[in-house]
Amino acid sequence: MRSKDGKNNNMTDKFILKKDHLVSFLRRLKKEYHLVAPVKNIQGDTMFTLVDSVDEVEFDLVNQAVTSIKPFLFPQQETLFTYETSANGDYRFDSVCNSQPTVYFGVHSCDLSAVLYMDVTFSLTARDPYYLEKRKNAVLISVGCNEPSENCFCNAAKTGPFLEYGFDLQLTDLGNRFFVDVGRATGQEIVSKWQHFFAPAEEEDVKLQYQTYLEARGKFTRQVHMDQAIKRLKSGKVPESIWSELSLRCQDCSGCAYICPTCTCFSISDRKLSEHEGERLRSWDACTFSGFTRMAGDHNPVDHRTQAIRQRFLHKMLYDVQKHNRPSCIGCGRCVGICFGGVDIIRFIDLVTN
Amino acid sequence: MIHTINQNIYLPRPAIIKELIVENSQIKTFDLSFVDEEYNKTFTYAPGQFMMVSIPHCGEAPISFSSTPSRPGTLSLSVRKAGTLTNAMHELTEGAFIGLRGPYGTPFSMDALKGKNLLFVAGGIGLAPLRSVINYCMDNEKDFREITILYGSRLPSDLAFTADLDLWQKRPDTTCLLTVDQAEPGWNGHTGVVTTLFDKITVDPSSTVALVCGPPLMIRFVLAELSRMGIQDEDIITTLERHMKCGVGICRHCHMDNKLVCVDGPVFNRAELRNLEVAELLT
Repeated sequence: MRSKDGKNNNMTDKFILKKDHLVSFLRRLKKEYHLVAPVKNIQGDTMFTLVDSVDEVEFDLVNQAVTSIKPFLFPQQETLFTYETSANGDYRFDSVCNSQPTVYFGVHSCDLSAVLYMDVTFSLTARDPYYLEKRKNAVLISVGCNEPSENCFCNAAKTGPFLEYGFDLQLTDLGNRFFVDVGRATGQEIVSKWQHFFAPAEEEDVKLQYQTYLEARGKFTRQVHMDQAIKRLKSGKVPESIWSELSLRCQDCSGCAYICPTCTCFSISDRKLSEHEGERLRSWDACTFSGFTRMAGDHNPVDHRTQAIRQRFLHKMLYDVQKHNRPSCIGCGRCVGICFGGVDIIRFIDLVTN
Repeated sequence: MIHTINQNIYLPRPAIIKELIVENSQIKTFDLSFVDEEYNKTFTYAPGQFMMVSIPHCGEAPISFSSTPSRPGTLSLSVRKAGTLTNAMHELTEGAFIGLRGPYGTPFSMDALKGKNLLFVAGGIGLAPLRSVINYCMDNEKDFREITILYGSRLPSDLAFTADLDLWQKRPDTTCLLTVDQAEPGWNGHTGVVTTLFDKITVDPSSTVALVCGPPLMIRFVLAELSRMGIQDEDIITTLERHMKCGVGICRHCHMDNKLVCVDGPVFNRAELRNLEVAELLT
């Protein structure tokens, strides 16, 4: 996409969107899609929100949203199907799936990388129709991070601060205008359909975009040695004591897994609605919970007192590397802020590498 | 888009309990067929695989086949009362409906067993998945050499699959030995844990494949004993039980280090289990 000197090789996929035109553009998009964007709520928190009216919300493309877009593609709880039994014992199932074409606007690079990872999770061993249906309907407009937050380490995770692929459109804030990279086909369609919003990027814009990207890379405050940690884990040189040491601090709250854009463990259960009706629900679950592996009869093959966080960290930092050649921690740093036991992934990486 | 069973892996198919066999106070065998007659004709599975069973208001649980695909038309699941779903299942009667999806999991490699002496070691409900293999072997007896079955239960009244045990004991080419942890009046057979039966058989470690299923503690001791007898890790095969929700490698409840028991197993040989954190093998 970009040559080493920052010169653009293909001007037809580089555009400029004036900031003054952003709201009108989103208004147009909203006529054809649901719009989910990072919006500042009355408490001052930035949350991905289903936008009702683009004129009545304050978009925040700079600060990291409290949660990623995971809950929109993989809801905290969703109905998979309803079921019915009848007096003669019959047992019928009726699938439920509500998904609308949706633009996810202002997604940071790390969170978009998480979606690419979830794409694999939900299609590798079996095709999960609930996730894939929502994903098929998803248009991803990402925004590169000019100012990484204090716990960010996407540079170490190689998921940001800007992306080379995976987005439909990628925006870069150039002050009074956005530089727009066109990625996937839907991005191209959007630019073509609403072309009056998009002017071809000039050589100057391309240079400034590249400079912005370079500057952003220099702004990370955390030094997280992810590659080194992976190397040590692969070599098997990590002492077993590390697991009990960290597990002791785990408070079994699963905040880390719920806030994590790539954690997708779930449970399935029935909710009885009447004697003969009910629904099957899928809900978020977490491998850090002691009940996660507990079987009927209370036998538990995992000793959670000493192993509570072992699967979580090894899955992200070793098993996924063995399987897909890359870790599934995307370096967003959210677990650093949420864990009151201090058992976050940076602490783990520091322990492994020191 | 995803309203048909073919497109939605989570949608069970209704099935009916054709026959119900009470194995003992804790175990029942459910002979099942799908309500969809056409589907019954095309449905296939392999020994060692499992189905996700739905019971109204109880969710789902993974249950191994106890029947063999070499006897088409029968699909049996043998279930021990252990938790909410299995207790509810035990309340059902013939003619009742349940939901099924599957088959799932990596089965026993029947081709790899061909030409071998087979040693089956089972405890309690652990005989269920092995019964599928044993009856498969009986139906294809030319493919296999001698079959030895060692089966243990807590009490004589806990022995399950007694009709099969009788048939197996009557076969001239098959050795089938039983043991109980604790005798009851009328029990003239062997008493002691299942490993005490090893003294009663001779095993050629180079031509024998051992298949093991039972409670975790039993698996640990039997696997150790089999290794001591000189059987290679690749020829010691077990099938593991784990909590599962999806059955297809996504929900991760059945994680075991870098493996998922639902797709990488439930059948594993001992070589695959070496270097893994396996509860059954921890000492």
